[in-house]
Amino acid sequence: MKTELTTQNKIFNEVKKFSSQHTYVFSFFALLLIAVLINKNFLSYSYLSTLILQSTIKGIIALGMTLVIISGQIDLSVGSLTALVSGLGVVVLNTTENMLVMLLFCMVFGLFLGTINGLLVTKGRIAPFIVTLATLSAFRSIIVQLGQGGPFNVSENVYQSFRLIAVGTIFKIPNLAIIFVIVTAIVYIVMEKTKFGRYIYAVGSNEKAASLAGINVVRIKTLCFSITGLLTGISAFLLASRLTSITAPNAGVSFELDAIAAVAIGGTSMNGGRGRIIGTFLGIIMLQMIEGILIAAKIPPFLTGLVKGVIIILAVLLQSRKEKS
Amino acid sequence: MFLKMENIVKDFGVVRALDHASLEVEEGEIHGLLGENGAGKSTLMNILAGILKPTEGAIYINGALQENMTTKKSTEVGIRFIHQELNSINDLLVFENLFIGEEIHDKWGFLNKKAMIEKSKEVFIRMGIDINPLELMENLDTSRKQLVEIGKALLFESQLIIMDEPTTALTNKEIDNLFSIMRTLKKEGVSIIYISHKMPELFTICDRYTVLRDGRFIDSGIFADIDEHRATELLVGRSMAEEFIVNDGIKGEVVYEVHGLCCEPFFREISFNLRVGEVLAITGLHGDGRGELAEALFGARHVSKGEIHLEGERIQLKSIKKVMEAGIGMVPRNRKERSIIKDFSIRDNLSIGHFVIKHKHLFINKEEETKRFEKNQRITRIKVGNCEDYITSLSGGNQQKVIISRWLEIDAKVYILDNPTQGIDVGAKFEIYKIINELVKRGKSVIVFSSEFPEIHKIADRCLIMYKGNINAEMTREELTEVKAMYYATGANMEGIDENRTYNTK
Repeated sequence: MKTELTTQNKIFNEVKKFSSQHTYVFSFFALLLIAVLINKNFLSYSYLSTLILQSTIKGIIALGMTLVIISGQIDLSVGSLTALVSGLGVVVLNTTENMLVMLLFCMVFGLFLGTINGLLVTKGRIAPFIVTLATLSAFRSIIVQLGQGGPFNVSENVYQSFRLIAVGTIFKIPNLAIIFVIVTAIVYIVMEKTKFGRYIYAVGSNEKAASLAGINVVRIKTLCFSITGLLTGISAFLLASRLTSITAPNAGVSFELDAIAAVAIGGTSMNGGRGRIIGTFLGIIMLQMIEGILIAAKIPPFLTGLVKGVIIILAVLLQSRKEKS
Repeated sequence: MFLKMENIVKDFGVVRALDHASLEVEEGEIHGLLGENGAGKSTLMNILAGILKPTEGAIYINGALQENMTTKKSTEVGIRFIHQELNSINDLLVFENLFIGEEIHDKWGFLNKKAMIEKSKEVFIRMGIDINPLELMENLDTSRKQLVEIGKALLFESQLIIMDEPTTALTNKEIDNLFSIMRTLKKEGVSIIYISHKMPELFTICDRYTVLRDGRFIDSGIFADIDEHRATELLVGRSMAEEFIVNDGIKGEVVYEVHGLCCEPFFREISFNLRVGEVLAITGLHGDGRGELAEALFGARHVSKGEIHLEGERIQLKSIKKVMEAGIGMVPRNRKERSIIKDFSIRDNLSIGHFVIKHKHLFINKEEETKRFEKNQRITRIKVGNCEDYITSLSGGNQQKVIISRWLEIDAKVYILDNPTQGIDVGAKFEIYKIINELVKRGKSVIVFSSEFPEIHKIADRCLIMYKGNINAEMTREELTEVKAMYYATGANMEGIDENRTYNTK
C-alpha cells in the first residue's frame, strides 16, 4: 500500500516537474484549441504545412536567438543581418549562377557578421544590447546603400530553379518545413547532447562560476553570436528563394522582434541559464498561429504588433513568476 | 557613562548571533571592540545604529533608555557609523557623497550647494587632507574614498562615532592623520568605538577594550593593563581541545613551488612550496590579500611577476583551463557566487569539471554522467534523493561536497581549497576535513585558505600567516597555536605601526 502511494507520488512529482519546466507545451495546445474553434479548417494538411512553412525563416533565426539568450545576452541585429546577407547573396547568385555557392556565401558571411557582434561584446566589453542595436542600424544602412534603395532581383537564368527551394515539396511536405525540422534537430542535439551546449547554459546561469570551472567564457559568448549569424545566413538564403526579390529597406524588418518573442513564449529565461530549443520551435509556430487567429477573427492587421507586444510581456511575466517560486 | 548596551540578544532564525552581549562606553573615550570573525561585533554595532532590531536587551544613552532604536533616532542622539564597506557613489561629486541623505536646503527647498561645499572644505581642513569637494568620487583612490567616508561622520555634531575597520584601505601616513583626528575628537568629548583586527593600532589609539566571542561578552578593561598576548588569548578563548583529524599521510618530495608571486596592491613576493601528501594552510585576516593569492594560483587573476612550478615544470597561468590541465584543481570561496551553477541539476554541476579537461567525445552521455555522480557520491558522501534535482535543493554542506567532487573528478595533483567550509554546518565541515585527509593519503597535496583557526588546527601540517599582502610567519603543526596565529595575523609582531610594509618573518 505504502509503496503504491510513493510510486503515485513519484508520477505526480514527475508530471509536476515536467509541467513547470515545459509550460509552453500547454500554451501550445491551448492556442491550438482556440485556433480550431475559430477556424474549422485549421487542422487541415494544407493549413498546417503553410503554418510551418511560414514559421521557418524566422524560426531558424529564433533558434540562434535562443542560444544567445540562454547565454545571458541578446541580439537585435538579426533582421538587418538577414537583409544584408540576403541582398548580397542574390548578387552572388546572379554572378555565379550557382545556388550552392550562394548558400555557402550566405552561411560564411552570416557567420562572419555574427562573429563581429560577438567580438565587440566580449573583447570590446560593450553591452550586447548596444552592440547589436548599432549593427542593426549599420547592416541595414550598408545594404540600402548598395541597392541604392532598390530591390535585388534574382536573374532570369536561375529564377525558376532557385524559387523551387522555398516553394518546392518532397513527398508533399514543403521543403521549408523539412529544413526547419532538420535545423531544429541539429541545434537541439548541440544544446542537449554536447558539452558546448552545456557550457552555454553554464555561462548564462553563472558566468563567474563557469569561468572558475575552466570554461572559456569569452569564446562561448562569442560563438553564440557566430552561430546566430550562421543560422541567420541560412534564413537569408531561404528568404531570397521565397521572395526572389530582396528590397533592401524592408527585408527582414522586425525579425528580431519575432525571434525574441518566440524565445520568450518558448519558456526560455530572459536572464539566461534556462531554456529549451523545442520551446522556441513551438514558440515561433505559436506566434504564426496567433497571426492566423487574428486574421480569422477579422482583427485589423495593424493591430498584430500590439498583440505580439502583449504576448511577449505575458510570456516573460509568467516566466519570471515561475522563477521566483 | 555615555552608552550602555545591556544583555543584547539577536537571533537570525535559529542562529543566535548575540547572546546577552554588553558594552559600556564612557564619554570622551576611544573604546576598542575586539572579536574574531563572526564574534558578533558588526551585529552589535548595527543594533546600536538602529539598522538591526535586537531580539532582547536594552540600550541606554546618557542613562536614558532608548526604545525601538531606528537609524533616524540613532543619528538624532549623535551616533555616526563609519561602515567597513565603502558606500560611496562613484558618479557623484565628493561633497554630494558627504551630504547624501542629509543635504542642506535653502529657504526655497532647493539644494544649497555653496553651504555644502564650504562645510566639506572645513571638514577636510580639519582632517588635514586635501580633497577637492568638487572632485568626482570615481577619481579618488580607495584610501581617499575611505577618508571621505570618515569625513561624513565629522560633518555634524556627534557624540559617538563607530569606526568598523576604518584603516584597511589607508596608508600609514593617513592612519597617523586619522589617529590625530580621533585624539582631537576625544578631547572634545566625543566617544569612539573602534573595531579593528590590528593589534598595534588598537594598542596605540584605544583606551579601553571589550572582547566578544561567539556572541558573548568576554571581558572589558583598560588596554594599559594587558599586552598583545593576553589580548589574543581573550579573543581566541579556551585552548582548543577538540579532536584532531589524524593526518598520517607520508610527506614526500616537494611537488609544487611558488616563486616571488606579485600582484599589487594585494600581495607581493609570495614564495612557498608544498610536498606530496601535505596540507598547507594559508590564513590571515581581512585585507591580507589571501583571496587574491588563491585566485592567482589558479590563473584567475593576472600576476605581474613570479612563477609556479609543478613537478619541476612551469605552469602557464594564462588561462584557468591550462592550470587545470597542468594538474591543479580549485574549490573557490563563496560557493553561491563562484561555484554553483544554480540552473543546473546536481549531476550536471558535478560534470562540468570533467567536461572541461577530460571529456574527448563528440556527445555527452547521461548514463556516464550518472555513474560518475554515483562514484563520487560514495567518496564524498553526498546526501541526495535524485541527482537530477536542482543543486539549489541541497543543503550548503552537500552543495559543497558536489563542488569538491567536481574537482576530484579531474584527478589533480594539487588541490587549492579557498574557504571550503564557508557557511556550512559543523557536521558537514568535519566530513570535508575527512575528504581532505583522504586526498593526502592518496598522495595529493592540498592548500587550504581559511580564516578559521580551529579548522587549520585540525587539518594543516603547516601554516602560512599573511598580513597586509606578505607572508608574516610560517609555522609547523607543532609550533602552531591559535594565540600565535592570531598574534602574527594581526601584525602584533610589528613594533607599533609599520612604516614601509616590509619585515622579516620572525
